[in-house]
Amino acid sequence: MTSLGKAKYVLVFLLVILAANLLVAQQIREEGRGQAAAGEKLVPTGDGHAVAVPDDESGKKHGGSVTTGNGINYNGGPVLKGNPVPIYIIWYGTWTNTTGSNTQATVNLVDAFLAANSLGGSGYERINTLYGDNTGNVSGNLQEIQQVFDTGSQGTRLRNSRISSAISAQLTGGHLPTDPNGVYLFITSSNVSESGFCSSFCGFHTHQTLNGADIKWAFIGNTDRCPSGCEIQSTGPNSPSTGVGGADGMINVITHETEEAITDPDLNAWFDSSGNEDADKCNFKFGPTQTAPNGAKFNQTFGGFNWMIQMEWENSRGGGCDQTLGGPFFTN
Amino acid sequence: MNLCHAGLLTSLLLASAAAQEPVKPPLTPRIITATRQVTLFTGLEKTMLQAVQKKDKNALDGMLSDECFISIPKSDPLDCSDWADSVTAGDFALKSFVVRRVSVTDLGDSALVSFERVQQATHGAKNLNGEFFVVDLWRKSGNSWKLASRYVSRMEIASPEPAAPPKPTGKE
Repeated sequence: MTSLGKAKYVLVFLLVILAANLLVAQQIREEGRGQAAAGEKLVPTGDGHAVAVPDDESGKKHGGSVTTGNGINYNGGPVLKGNPVPIYIIWYGTWTNTTGSNTQATVNLVDAFLAANSLGGSGYERINTLYGDNTGNVSGNLQEIQQVFDTGSQGTRLRNSRISSAISAQLTGGHLPTDPNGVYLFITSSNVSESGFCSSFCGFHTHQTLNGADIKWAFIGNTDRCPSGCEIQSTGPNSPSTGVGGADGMINVITHETEEAITDPDLNAWFDSSGNEDADKCNFKFGPTQTAPNGAKFNQTFGGFNWMIQMEWENSRGGGCDQTLGGPFFTN
Repeated sequence: MNLCHAGLLTSLLLASAAAQEPVKPPLTPRIITATRQVTLFTGLEKTMLQAVQKKDKNALDGMLSDECFISIPKSDPLDCSDWADSVTAGDFALKSFVVRRVSVTDLGDSALVSFERVQQATHGAKNLNGEFFVVDLWRKSGNSWKLASRYVSRMEIASPEPAAPPKPTGKE
């Protein structure tokens, strides 16, 4: 090969390297779109694109984000910090009866409980603001965003895998958004069984990957299936008739599960050395009560209704169960 | 019967034997809201174990019904008062315990309670550490509950036989 030929060969080689570099650089840029690096956040440019800019909020501690020494431990995982935390409901089974608690009246009551300016933002829910992670605290606000009905796609004898399938179908079908920052409540009518429901638990919460996202979901069964196990009173402050306490019973369990799904969404954030989360530490403890016109007990009033909901563990002042942020502690 | 048929038959037999075992659902990581009965009986079971730890025979006797017995595999039923005597005796020591996975079937004036018990204990020089599956029948007696019968089984799967020591070759 002549020296000119060698030079041509080197030039072609350099051009190939340059072209390859350009291609790689372009690919990195494309991948970078829609995803901010650590310490950056995405802001819209107004033309349908977004650019990453320094995030002044990143890494900043909001208030006393992680305060410990109050009978409950922080285990390093994230909390849900939405303001409000979005709540999605899947009503499973039969919710169209005209008597009992498998009714539209129950649906309406739960809607009222989780509406804006009801449970969300209440002095009760603000107890949750004392829980945080290394980037901020829980807002103390939550709100129902959307609900759907599934009349029984997985039958009436459920187990976890069937609940997962039912929730997944709502996400992949586009009936509910796929939101890793929300909490999905799977509420079943009293004719639906779930292994362990009533004999071991009244509800539970968990998380798993569904439709490509880390979805936090909770099971809540109609407590009228086992009033002695899952209701503090068989007639609640919102019972349609004597002995029909399912709606109030479920609202108590919804309170418990939403509190925990927010402060321990991936089961690695807030719980004590025995594995008890904040609501577990006050399970079926209600504090002082008043008596409603129908004779039922209640301990909270907001959103235009009286409610009988368990206390929550306050992560301050040494820790204890109370009914409102900063209120007195009660043991039962 | 040729070798192929024999293999097929063996496979079918093995499959049918396996089918008689209960299907074990996977353990889902989840955190439950315990029922009121689970809270109540978890407390009673822990109180009973604490009485064993403290060797408080009076407290233990107060939680046992007169007809109470304990059933253990490959053993005659044990009278609960004899059991209380043995666990409060000087040479038994319950160092620590965990009660977990409690389930309660509410039967009105009685309740069927199942749970797993993990314990660290010794009886003289004998190590009694282990995990046990316990089923208790509790009966209501006035305003309190008393243990009517208990069925206990060790949970661990037996470890395989230790491998035979290698034959000496004479070259060691």
